[in-house]
Amino acid sequence: MTLPGPLLLGIPIVMAGLLWPVRRWTTLQAWLAAFTASLVGGIVALAPLNEPLTFRGVSLILGRPLYVLGRQMLVEPVDRLPLAFIFLTSAGLFLIAWRLLPHSNFYSLGLIAVTLLAAALLVEQVVYAALLMEMAALLAVIPLHEPILLPNGQRYGGKVQGGLRYISYITMALPGLMVTQLLLEQFAVMPNDQGLLQSSTVLLGLSFAILLGAIPFQSWLITVAADGSPPVVTFLFTVDLGATWFILLAYLNTYTWLGQQSLFGPFFTALGLLMIVVGGVLAASQRQLGQLLGYSVLVDNGTMFLALGTQQVTGLAFTMLLLLARPLTLGVMTLGLDGLRRLGNGDDGPEAMRGLAWHAPWRAFAFLIGAVALAGFPPSLGFTARWGLYHLVAAHSGWQAVLALLGNAGVMLGVITSMHVLLAPATPHKTTDHASQDVVVIVLIVLLIGALVGSSLFPQIPSRIAYHMAEGFSFFR
Amino acid sequence: MNPFVAWLSRLSVYASTPAIWGIFLAGAAIYLIANWRVRFLALLVQYLFIGVIFERIFDSRPELAFLKILVGWLVGGAVFLSARIREENHPEAQEHRLHWGANVPFRILSLLMMVVAAYLASQRYALPFIPPDLAPVCFVLGGLAILFMGTEEKDTAVVGVGMLNLLAALDIFYSVQDPSLVVTGMLVMVNLLVGLVISYLTVAEVVE
Repeated sequence: MTLPGPLLLGIPIVMAGLLWPVRRWTTLQAWLAAFTASLVGGIVALAPLNEPLTFRGVSLILGRPLYVLGRQMLVEPVDRLPLAFIFLTSAGLFLIAWRLLPHSNFYSLGLIAVTLLAAALLVEQVVYAALLMEMAALLAVIPLHEPILLPNGQRYGGKVQGGLRYISYITMALPGLMVTQLLLEQFAVMPNDQGLLQSSTVLLGLSFAILLGAIPFQSWLITVAADGSPPVVTFLFTVDLGATWFILLAYLNTYTWLGQQSLFGPFFTALGLLMIVVGGVLAASQRQLGQLLGYSVLVDNGTMFLALGTQQVTGLAFTMLLLLARPLTLGVMTLGLDGLRRLGNGDDGPEAMRGLAWHAPWRAFAFLIGAVALAGFPPSLGFTARWGLYHLVAAHSGWQAVLALLGNAGVMLGVITSMHVLLAPATPHKTTDHASQDVVVIVLIVLLIGALVGSSLFPQIPSRIAYHMAEGFSFFR
Repeated sequence: MNPFVAWLSRLSVYASTPAIWGIFLAGAAIYLIANWRVRFLALLVQYLFIGVIFERIFDSRPELAFLKILVGWLVGGAVFLSARIREENHPEAQEHRLHWGANVPFRILSLLMMVVAAYLASQRYALPFIPPDLAPVCFVLGGLAILFMGTEEKDTAVVGVGMLNLLAALDIFYSVQDPSLVVTGMLVMVNLLVGLVISYLTVAEVVE
């Protein structure tokens, strides 16, 4: 029996079902989820596309399409690295969450969510991709607001505004994407009607602006970062947003006329700069760690838009490199923020955080190193990407590069403020959280910081992967 | 034919103006009356009228319209059961009700503005693909959705109803052009997931 490639996505769905009853055993859940995600990611990245993979008499050809009620799902060469990215990032996050989210739904729902996002990447029509993304977002919100019992008996994670705002925004993006499908179908019948193209461009742009938290739709990014459980926030900002970026690029690849419109470059450049400047100014004035994370991601997204606005393959490669850098930086920040919030009984404001670096030095160090990396300063892969991008942008317009640099410096100012608060003279704390001294967490922090520094010292490998990913999208050639 | 489906088919003659008014008045009740029992009943009525609209769209397959009503009722039941649990356990519930009382004039004004905006929009902007007498339904549902999601962020259940209304507007608009089973099925799934997530968020905020 020879199976089509997209059926590979059945493995995480089945595993998610098996993990549900074993929520009691967090270690088993986390490792099985991580193993499944890395298995699927590994197969997608390394297996030959058109040769059968045989296991116990059952063969699977990765490049063979799957038809569901007449709709085609297909693993194309350009999809392989994005799929591998979202599955391997999920695997890493399941391991990070292992010691942070005991008895959580995150492992099973995270597996289903990443599978739905993968399916959205494989399906051709916009309407199905949009609905699959909506489902993935809805599922991810449940673990985002799972209350965690603190050592003092209180519950942490009670506010739900972040998740609520996130799903509201994602639902608002749905009509634009679905109507775009109708307009594109009509354009296929009436190719001379340019109004249809203009309407679909506007709708598609608006929907992706909402999905990616572009200004003026950034409020969900900030609220999610402020209210949500840090490991799940990282899942949303890396896997969910990563898949959204890849789907946007896939559409630009499919509908090449979108990328060829005269306003494409100036629009993305202006949007990117606006996000960087506004995000940078607001990040500089943040006193809550979660909100600082949210604004840092806003600036990072803006930098990616700026890179896309260059309309060059090199610029696109910098977008990819920033996307590849994000799991490491946010992973380190997550480990830090989670522990600091627990010590602050769920509060990450300046009063609760004052002097915590002396109580939980590893957690504070992890948060600060991750924040510095996300701001695009060394040691990080983000710095490598930004440095190249500033050169590329400065070749056309010096002031744009300066604005981008100043925006990122704004994030760094916010990080310095946080550092000042965390390193304030130690105050006696009533609660102690044993999780903040967990050896496994400290080992994870050391490993991730090592990977972060290593990737910045030897950026050749991730840069090569990023360039390879960018070359797969042909709309700038 | 299922007697309920047959009854729904007979109601489909009211699929334009009466159904639009029914949907709007039910939405107004949800917006103005902060009592989960009344809101639940209003949502049941609203989904009945949405089903009447769907009956006209799926005229050859009225079972699908019936399915939409059932899903709406199921989701509404789950959401407002969660709202009840929240109201019973949440210490801020009473305070919220007093705050709501002070807001009634603002709510009435917002509703009126929404009606006027939806009416003007349906007169000036012709929606493509959809029959002119059904277009106002999409505007009214979309307007209610914006009102619920934009002004009721503290009330998770009402935000959930707003999302359901937006999905219903989209479902009506899209199904006219493409009434395929795959999209219908996926939209049903999305509705059920919205119900699940909103119910979860409604009770998750309760502090023990």
